[in-house]
Amino acid sequence: MHRPSVRAAIAALFIFLLAGCGGGSSEESPPDDTGSTSNADVDAGDTTGGADTGATMVAEYPSEFEPGPTAMRRLTGPQFENSVHDLLGGGIVVPPLAEPDLPIGGLISIGASASSLGARGVESLESAAYAVAEQAMDTAERRAALVPCEPSGTVDSACAQAFVESFGRLAWRRPLEADEVTTIVEVADRAATELGDFYDGLEFAVAAILQSPHFLFRLELGEEDPDNPGQRRFTDLELASRLSFFLWNTTPDAELLQAAEDGELSTQEGLAAQAERLLESPRARLAVRNFFSEHLELYELDHLSKDPTLFEHYSSDLGPDAREETLSLMEHVVFDAEMDYRDVMTTRETFLNQRLAALYGVPAPTREGFGLARLPASGGRAGLLGHASLLSLHSHPVSSSATLRGVAVRTILLCQEIPAPPVNVDTSIPEPSGDTLTLRDRVAEHLTNRDCAGCHILTDPIGLGLENFDGVGRWRDTDNGALIDPSGELDREPFEDPIELGKVIREHPDFAPCLVKTLTRYAIGRLEADGEEEVMEVMAERFAATHDYRVKPLMIEIITSPMFRVTGELN
Amino acid sequence: MSSKKYKLSRRTFLRGMLGGSAIALGLPPLEAFFNANGTAYAVDGTFPKRFGLFFWGNGVLPDRWVPTMTGEEWELTEQLTPLASLRRDITVLTGLEVKTGNPVPHGSGPPGLLTGDGPLDRTGDFGNSTFKLPTIDQLMADEIGGETLFRSLEVGVEQGTTGLSHNGPDSINPAETSPAALFERLFGAEFRAPGDEPIIDPKLSLRRSVLDSVMDDSDRLRQRLGANDRIRLEQHLAAVRDLELRIARIEEDPPNLAACARPDAPPQLMDTDGRPPMRERSRVMSDLVTMAMACDLTRVLSFWFTRPVSNVLFPDITAGHHQLTHDEPGDQPQVNRIVISIMEDFAYFLESLRSVPEGDGTLLDNSIILGTSDVSYARTHQIDEYPIILAGSGCGTLRQGFHYRSTTQENTSLVSFSLLRAMGVPVSEFGVGPGRVTQGLSAIES
Repeated sequence: MHRPSVRAAIAALFIFLLAGCGGGSSEESPPDDTGSTSNADVDAGDTTGGADTGATMVAEYPSEFEPGPTAMRRLTGPQFENSVHDLLGGGIVVPPLAEPDLPIGGLISIGASASSLGARGVESLESAAYAVAEQAMDTAERRAALVPCEPSGTVDSACAQAFVESFGRLAWRRPLEADEVTTIVEVADRAATELGDFYDGLEFAVAAILQSPHFLFRLELGEEDPDNPGQRRFTDLELASRLSFFLWNTTPDAELLQAAEDGELSTQEGLAAQAERLLESPRARLAVRNFFSEHLELYELDHLSKDPTLFEHYSSDLGPDAREETLSLMEHVVFDAEMDYRDVMTTRETFLNQRLAALYGVPAPTREGFGLARLPASGGRAGLLGHASLLSLHSHPVSSSATLRGVAVRTILLCQEIPAPPVNVDTSIPEPSGDTLTLRDRVAEHLTNRDCAGCHILTDPIGLGLENFDGVGRWRDTDNGALIDPSGELDREPFEDPIELGKVIREHPDFAPCLVKTLTRYAIGRLEADGEEEVMEVMAERFAATHDYRVKPLMIEIITSPMFRVTGELN
Repeated sequence: MSSKKYKLSRRTFLRGMLGGSAIALGLPPLEAFFNANGTAYAVDGTFPKRFGLFFWGNGVLPDRWVPTMTGEEWELTEQLTPLASLRRDITVLTGLEVKTGNPVPHGSGPPGLLTGDGPLDRTGDFGNSTFKLPTIDQLMADEIGGETLFRSLEVGVEQGTTGLSHNGPDSINPAETSPAALFERLFGAEFRAPGDEPIIDPKLSLRRSVLDSVMDDSDRLRQRLGANDRIRLEQHLAAVRDLELRIARIEEDPPNLAACARPDAPPQLMDTDGRPPMRERSRVMSDLVTMAMACDLTRVLSFWFTRPVSNVLFPDITAGHHQLTHDEPGDQPQVNRIVISIMEDFAYFLESLRSVPEGDGTLLDNSIILGTSDVSYARTHQIDEYPIILAGSGCGTLRQGFHYRSTTQENTSLVSFSLLRAMGVPVSEFGVGPGRVTQGLSAIES
């Protein structure tokens, strides 16, 4: 079936450049050789933190493209918890939804566009809704913060209505329709009557609001664009949700909803102004952590399985600790240092606690918790490839794995695809013996056998470059007594050791665009449609040339790009 | 006498529920709706029929699994020996093949057997495939799940496993892997043993009215959604409706089954040497789900011992299970030990069901248990020679106690078709494309 083409004309796009961004790099932006003539909207001189870049040419988004379909998104586990905290109070204990988030393409946020809630999930949503509703109404302070009126008696429909309208607007991320209010007020009144207490009634109203699909699902479905008949765009209120869940991983605050209701998000400036406000909040740091947890699949670290009789540094804390290291570094890169993102592959800076410092064989930067550490300049460990998180995740319970690590570099860091292994082939590798001691010797078969080499040539040489790190990420010079040779090449770029491998990945043409691609997919909750690939390429060009590989400006770029604001057909 | 089923529409039902009185006791439709429960067993001597799936990852070693003799005189092979005491209660099926293709190693056998279709394979997303269709346990729950507090129950032994019970694409009924949480869910505050008073609490009725408002509120939303989203919303609302039914049921008399009693809370089980106590955890789970079925809390169970591609470190084994299936040389003595160990735990589960008397028989007699895995031989990811064990006769609907060997590599869908029919699901076909069948495996039907 051929679907009718919906072409969205993106008229008169502003080229929005963030003032004062970047870390002072004075790298020359590459000349624009596409023949594009002018960028009249560009304010010259503010793209790279003060360098003289009046001649910067900015890649242009295509004048029209075919947006992908939109789907409703279920709140993820963290979004559910964050939203309840923001709606009802930070101290509230939020029981988790029993139904786990299912990643698609590694991203939970894409899985959220496909999943719903089954029997057990609904059961857990109900019990969570009552548990948090009860807490929300159990002290005078919390009531005062939530309820905009004093009840005149056990049943006070007017006061219940005022509450349902104010709380409902925040929870459903839009003002409620009159009949929606009526239904919930009736629930509250009936409960108040039967239980003999006004606030018991409100507990049931809160529980009803939180169990509604209008809360559980993000219904960003778009509307007909009055300026471009036949095309769909997101409404201001929908944009408020998209913005908030992308940048905060939680529900919009009152100010953002107000901006949406005032129509401010329809303009590039209004959208960007709110995005910048949100990025200044500590919530943005948590959201960026959430993104990297999804991108690098660090949520898997909760179920790390390692043999402690082989790995003396392994304990059940290793997975969570290793995740904290990586997420702390990412937060630092994005918000504190505002570094060139590519430097995550080479930086000697990282964040360690005592346990990880011991694993890495370096002094602990702090006695308590995590602190910024600088790894020795002469050592073999630097950048993400030296993190115990990635190294242990892509290993076996009793050993490292050249294949798993190579697959991770290709698929996660470079956004490449690797075919699944064929069936009906013998996949065993020989035990260490005789001259075949190191993993490199043992997997030689992978790289010479015709059935195997097609894929393993893509993966194993990368993973063998990381063989100096054992199955939990501890450094070693030898494997079964034989010296490890970590040299190799990645897409024809040679490397001698893991440090150089990190540099090769940093410079790989797919590395920075992979972040753009993943972050955009995360923001829009789906894979890009064919018609959107060109838009993403422009984003990647701007990430490099305009934003000097800084992540915060990239986030604003995504938000103000057409992919974030217009939509195709309903899913 | 079998129980009559009254098909009440949700609306009829809810209007009945909310007809005025805050306390729902004595509302007329409830008796009609729930007459399969309660004293019916004691009065007419019939017992409910249950289905259970017992699943483990990474298959078997076929040359140590498949008996050479067929029929009732089959010999216990090395990997089937743990089931010796259950020889008369089980049927071993060999030589069958999943016909729906093998695009995803370890991810093709389960949807092939349990849905009759291949996986929904997403390009470039190895390991993230999902099922296109609901699994047979859910087809059964659609038919008989409405009779019990839990339309289906999913439990897991390996931590972090979600199980593979699917309602459809990207919709899994997640397994509970914590014995304590499972105990609380099954036998916590809302549990009533035979003879206990029903719960009278106005909050139960209020909770139903909240769920009703949620459903009402969704009618308009449905109109705004695209086709895919509408299916997702319907799935969600079906679950909301199930919860409404369940709350109504809490207000009813509990089922009166002689063997039902509140069990003790399970002990805390800790890892030793980084190795999860699979055996202890599996047995605690077996005990709990046996009692759940003895109390008729559910009639549809799936028991996910380990997941496909499981890399669990078993005690006294030198590497993760999946890694060993590929890397262990020779005839894989450690993999062999793991399979035998899993069969010991499967035997424990079946023994546990058999230890519950029901009338003249046992709970196992009134059940059908399907034991299976994700592959046959893991090293090469084969899905021919599929490992399938059936236990229990499903109240006499299935033959037991023999080894059936398919010499023509028959379709595993035939088995699923037979199981659906045995559980009362009136299917006339099962599966799609090469997985499609229009009849069962006659050898196992009685």
